Amino acid sequence: MSAYVITIATLIAIYAIVACGLNIIVGYAGQISLGHAAFFGIGAYTAALFATKAELSFWYALPCVLIISGLVGLLLGLPSLRVRHDFLAITTIGINFIVEAMFLYIPFFGGALGIGGIPRITLFGLPLKGIGFFWLCTGFLSLSVAACWWFTRCWAGLACFALREEEEAAAGLGISPVRFKLLAFVAGTAMAGLGGALYAHYMRFISATDFSFPVSITLLSMVVVGGMGTLWGPVLGTLILSALPELFRPLVDYRILFTTTLLLLMIRFQPGGLLGETGFIRSRVAVRSRRGRP
Amino acid sequence: MTEALLKLEGLSKHFGGLKAVDGVNLQVRPGEILGLLGPNGAGKTVCFNLISGVYPPTAGQVRLSGRRIDGFTPHRIAQMGIGRTFQIVKPFASLTVLENVLAACGITRYPSLTRIWTPWRSKMDREMAMAVLERVGLADLAHRKAGLLPLGNLRRLEIARALVVGQKLLLLDESFSGLRHEEIQRLESVIRRIREDGITVLLIEHNMRVAMGLSDRVAVLDHGRKIAEGPPEAVQNNDEVIEAYLGRKGRGHAA
Repeated sequence: MSAYVITIATLIAIYAIVACGLNIIVGYAGQISLGHAAFFGIGAYTAALFATKAELSFWYALPCVLIISGLVGLLLGLPSLRVRHDFLAITTIGINFIVEAMFLYIPFFGGALGIGGIPRITLFGLPLKGIGFFWLCTGFLSLSVAACWWFTRCWAGLACFALREEEEAAAGLGISPVRFKLLAFVAGTAMAGLGGALYAHYMRFISATDFSFPVSITLLSMVVVGGMGTLWGPVLGTLILSALPELFRPLVDYRILFTTTLLLLMIRFQPGGLLGETGFIRSRVAVRSRRGRP
Repeated sequence: MTEALLKLEGLSKHFGGLKAVDGVNLQVRPGEILGLLGPNGAGKTVCFNLISGVYPPTAGQVRLSGRRIDGFTPHRIAQMGIGRTFQIVKPFASLTVLENVLAACGITRYPSLTRIWTPWRSKMDREMAMAVLERVGLADLAHRKAGLLPLGNLRRLEIARALVVGQKLLLLDESFSGLRHEEIQRLESVIRRIREDGITVLLIEHNMRVAMGLSDRVAVLDHGRKIAEGPPEAVQNNDEVIEAYLGRKGRGHAA
C-alpha cells in the first residue's frame, strides 16, 4: 500500500473513533452537540503536552488523557441539563470557539504556533509508523465500536434511549436525566479524547485550527450520513466523508460545499442515515431477506 | 380507618397570579381507586405533577406512607414506587413495545453505579416485561415499534410502564380520553384487575360514567380547590359539583 493510502486510512480510523464518541452523545442520548471538535482537541493537546512537557510515554499518558477529556466533557455537559435542542446546539458551538481560542491565545498551549515535536508512539520498544500506526488506530477503533455496542446493550444505554425519546416519561420511570446525560457526555468526550491523542501522535504537530468549528460540522455530518444512533453508522459516515473528497481530488477545495450538500440531501431523503431505521441500506437488506423467505 | 397511603396537606401551586391548585387536602387509602374529577382547568393534572415531582409545590406537603416527598425530583419519586401515565401519551416511539416496558424494568438498576452496566436483554427481565404486557393485553404487539401503535394501545403501554414502576401507587391521567367504547371497556377491566392485585390507583377522568363506575371514592376539584369528596353517588348529587359542571341555576342558559 502506498504511504498516501495509509495516511488516509489512518486518519479515517482516527476520525471514526471521534465520530463514535459523538454518536453516543447525539445518537444514543439525543443531545445535539456542534462542538465535538473541542473535545477532540482537548484530547490531542493533553496528549501532546504530556508527551512534550512531561515526556510521558503515550501508554502512561493515555489513561490521564481519557480522564481529563471525560472530566472536561462532564463540566461542559452541564449546559445540556439546562438548555435543549437548538439552544444546546448554539451553546456547544460556543464551547468549540472558546476552547479553540484558549489553544490559540494561551502561550502554555503553544499559541498560534501550536505544539510540535510530539514523539511517535512506541510499542515493545519500536516506534510505530505507517502501517503499524494504522493497525494501532484500527485496534482502538475496534475497541471503541465494541464499547458502543456494549453501551447499547446495558441499562445505561437503554436509559439514554428513553431520555432521547421522551425526557419527562423517562424521569417517570426512575431515570435521572442529569446522571445519564452526563454519563453520555463523559463517554462520548473520552472517546473523542482517545481520537485526539492518536491524532497528536500521528501528525506530531498540532495547532488550534485542527479543532475548529468546521471540524465539528464534519464530525456531525459523518454521524448523520452514517446513521445517528446506529452502531456502524459513524464508521460508515467517516469512510464516505473522508474517502470521497480524496477520490475526487480536484474538488477538494469544495469540500465544505460537498459536505453540506450531502448533509442537506440526507436530511431530505434519508433522515435516519444510511444505516438508520428507514435507511437505504437497511431497507435493501430487509427486502432481500424477505424475498429469501419461503 | 387505615392510615393513608398518599396524603396531600394544604397543597398549593401558583403560577404567578393563577392559583392552579389551592390548598387541597386529600387522602388516598391503600387499595382503593380514587377518582379525581373536575371541569377543564380545575387543576387535576397540576395535582398529578405535584405528586410526581414535575413541579415543586408553592405551599403544602405531599406524604407517601407518612414520609414527605414534595420537592423530590420525578425520578426519585418514581423510585419510591409511584408510577404515572401522561394525559398526552409519551411513548418512546423508536423503541419496541417490549423495550418501552423494559426501560421501566430498569428502575431497580438506574440508581446503582455498577448495575447500569449489566445487559438489559436478559431472559428474566424480558419475561417480567412480557408478563406486564400480558396483564394489559399488549403481549401480541410486543415487537411492534411503539410509534406505530394507535392511541388506545399507547394508553395501555403507558399503563404497563407505570405498573412496573408503581408498586405502591398508580397515577392515571385521563387514560380513557379519546378511546372508543370497546377500548374503554377493556381498559376498565384492566384497571379493575390492577386493583385486585392490591395496587392503589388515583385516576383523573373526564368521562363521568367511567369515573363513577370505577372509583371507590371520588374527589372533585374546581378552580384549584376541592369542592367535594366521597362515594360516587353522594358526589354526583352534590349541588356544588353540579354547579361546577353545569353552571348555577337561575342564571339563564349562558352560565
